[in-house]
Amino acid sequence: MDELEAIKVTFFQECEELLADLEGGLLAMQDGNDDGDTVNAVFRAVHSIKGGAGAFGLEPLVRFAHVFETLLDAVRSNEVPATPDLVVTLLRASDVLADHVSSARGLGVVDEAVSAAMAAELKACTDPNAAPAPAAVVEAPVFEAAPVAAPAEALIGADDALDDDDLGFDFQPMTITIDEQAADVAAAAGNVWTVSIRPKSDLYRKANETALLLRELARLGPIEATLDASAIPPLDMLDAEAAYATWTVRLETEEDETAIREVFEFVDGDCDLEITRGEGLTPDAALAALLAGDAPAAVEAAPAVVAEAPAPVVVVEAAPEPVAVAPVVEAAPAPVAAPIAPAAPVAASAPAAAPAAKAQQIDVPGPGQSVIRVDPERIDRLIDLVGELVINQAMLAQRVGEYGIAPSSNLAMGLDELEQLTREIQDSVMAIRAQPVKSVFQRMPRLVREVASMTGKQARLVMDGENTEVDKTVIERLSDPITHMLRNAIDHGLESPEERKAAGKNPEGVVKLAALHRSGRIVIEVSDDGKGINRERVHSIAIKKGLISPELQLTDEEIDNLIFLPGFSTADKISDVSGRGVGMDVVKRSVQALGGRISITSRPGQGSTFTLSLPLTLAVLDGMVVDVAGETLVVPLAAIVESLRPKPEEVRPLGPVGSVLAVRDSFVPLIDVGLTLGYREASPPPTEGVVLLVEGEDGSRAALVADAIHGQRQVVIKSLEQNYQQVDGVAAATILGDGRVALILDVDAVISLRRREPPRPVEPTLIAAE
Amino acid sequence: MPQASSISVLVVDDQLTMRALIRNALQQIGFKDIREAPDGEEALKNLLAKPANLVISDFNMPKMDGLALLRAVRSHPPIRQTAFVMLTGRADRELVQRAVQFGVNNYCVKPFTVQGLRDKIEQVFGQLT
Repeated sequence: MDELEAIKVTFFQECEELLADLEGGLLAMQDGNDDGDTVNAVFRAVHSIKGGAGAFGLEPLVRFAHVFETLLDAVRSNEVPATPDLVVTLLRASDVLADHVSSARGLGVVDEAVSAAMAAELKACTDPNAAPAPAAVVEAPVFEAAPVAAPAEALIGADDALDDDDLGFDFQPMTITIDEQAADVAAAAGNVWTVSIRPKSDLYRKANETALLLRELARLGPIEATLDASAIPPLDMLDAEAAYATWTVRLETEEDETAIREVFEFVDGDCDLEITRGEGLTPDAALAALLAGDAPAAVEAAPAVVAEAPAPVVVVEAAPEPVAVAPVVEAAPAPVAAPIAPAAPVAASAPAAAPAAKAQQIDVPGPGQSVIRVDPERIDRLIDLVGELVINQAMLAQRVGEYGIAPSSNLAMGLDELEQLTREIQDSVMAIRAQPVKSVFQRMPRLVREVASMTGKQARLVMDGENTEVDKTVIERLSDPITHMLRNAIDHGLESPEERKAAGKNPEGVVKLAALHRSGRIVIEVSDDGKGINRERVHSIAIKKGLISPELQLTDEEIDNLIFLPGFSTADKISDVSGRGVGMDVVKRSVQALGGRISITSRPGQGSTFTLSLPLTLAVLDGMVVDVAGETLVVPLAAIVESLRPKPEEVRPLGPVGSVLAVRDSFVPLIDVGLTLGYREASPPPTEGVVLLVEGEDGSRAALVADAIHGQRQVVIKSLEQNYQQVDGVAAATILGDGRVALILDVDAVISLRRREPPRPVEPTLIAAE
Repeated sequence: MPQASSISVLVVDDQLTMRALIRNALQQIGFKDIREAPDGEEALKNLLAKPANLVISDFNMPKMDGLALLRAVRSHPPIRQTAFVMLTGRADRELVQRAVQFGVNNYCVKPFTVQGLRDKIEQVFGQLT
């Protein structure tokens, strides 16, 4: 029984995937892609959910899935046209189906009325003529009897009454014995292989030798090698170093193809190799022979295929010469090539085979291929351990340095190697935990549908970059901010359909959700094509609520970002969707806690864009270790453009306190990190220190002044918030090789801290203190 | 009377759950050599690399469906006599008829029990021990 429980867990996991496929397929249909493959994939998803649910006796789920499936079957066979309206209905039905799955899993309840109404609607779509008035449905839910649900201990259904007669025609099962099958396999020379070897000149140039390859092959079993010397030119035209000869080898072996391939491991690329099961004839030759109308030897060896159709199984009247049908109708090279190249005929003889391109896209590894399901906790543990290993390795390296051991010594070189390996281990381990953001994104279309219908807006979600990978720890934290940004975009960003029409826009608004990698971070953008931020109103509200001082001069960008201030809400009426409780300030704070940033840009009448950026992982960081006023700090390497020692003539004063650095042909503000973070009262001349030229998230540059650079190091991030509290200008902390704690600088925050300093007469309160 | 443990089986279904359930049932019947494939294409590759005595296949699968797999199996001499049991829904009567045309050994209507599946297999190989 435990095993069945385990399978049930698998089933629910699979349901998640199937529901995602279902929604993905329906969205593709919505975009006008209603080819047979897509519709069939949609059907299959529901069909599979129903099938599995039946096995576990999940009745309500089976019943709803059955109604859904029936409609999809009708769509699949073109009995019901896939109109845009229908697809919208199907999408809503998929939401209800998802609810049923969650409910069956014990994670929530299904609203029976909604489910019944939806089922009725689906039935009405399936058979419009027989459609009952939907109102009547609520009283008497139109559920078909469940197609046999079963208790979990029975396998798939518990009904023994199901027999062949159910399908209403005569059929005698065809018997077969294992011996008959074995004879076939033996007759088809299962252990005979044909290996064709065409060496290239490079093979000989690399001092390899065909004779050696043949000798190796002979170790696998008896061989018969035939030399084809027909390509060798006359002596006067012969290039002594070129390869002309080819060999065809008949090999009898119990080994499999891999073993044969291994023989050629060292000449990979230097020789054309074809390994085929059975006697003679390469696929090329077989095809050529077929085109020429010959009956090639391979076919004679397997007469069943083309000629007589000698009843491969014990023939019963109901099955008249079953075999001959397929190949003859196809008239494809399949039969001939069959015994030789298994891969080729597959496509040819499979009319239902999906296009190759699609097959590649959904390249789900099957069983037998190396996919392991691992408890995530084990991976987390591994990552923690690797983090400790990194720290330990750094400490060791530092100790060795302190003992004055020469960098060229064996010990130091061994340590270098250790560092390299540690880093590789770390990268590999992190890669295990990296996941595409798809898992978060795929929950969003439903959210958009629901929010849109709740607010009376029309919205279409466009997603981009779903396959962008990011560490699992980050993925888990993406959901909330994305949900908020999307809700905000629809609720506050998009206009009502009437307003949009009046403004000459498509009544249906477009909300775009995109993920991308940018300078070592993951960036999530949520943009809408709505009305944009009403800056005047935002500004006046902020003043009215006492969030900013009325005299404060703000740029457009700064006004836009006022919406992140605590206690700010522009909604005239508090809507159910995004106005109550959690505001954007909470989102901003939770994002900052992860070392992330969130901002908004807006163009009046054209829409707004939320930009959220987070580190790719919350576990490690490449950083530059620097000294500032006796403190050790880590500057994220991703932010550093270059480091330099400023010359006196490059430093120019700007205003009463500030100064800028001339870097080639541009000026960059100089920021003394020690002063900004409050480590010292007065800055030493920048020329005495080192300058790190950094670039912020928004592309703005600054020159950070430090006293000295210690070097580049990978550090393990320890959250400062979790262990202490948030500090402006500091992203997190880490433990250095010598065991000391060092702060990791938040470059953007340092730049903006600096901007808000002295040169401004009024003290702005853009970011509320603490 | 063949021994179930001496019969090799390839289970073909695009659904992991179904494969697991069928494998579970086969194990209860006494089968030991059980392989799986997620679609017809993989199944055919698998069979050509190493034949099986029995294929239990779903019908509706991506890439290559059960019917195409059946036809392909029947047209490859070394494996053409592989016993083929098609799993099918009740509604797929036409499908079964086509499968019969292409030489299916037996079919099994979903949902089914362990005993039901055993009966279907025994109708092909004789009583299992």
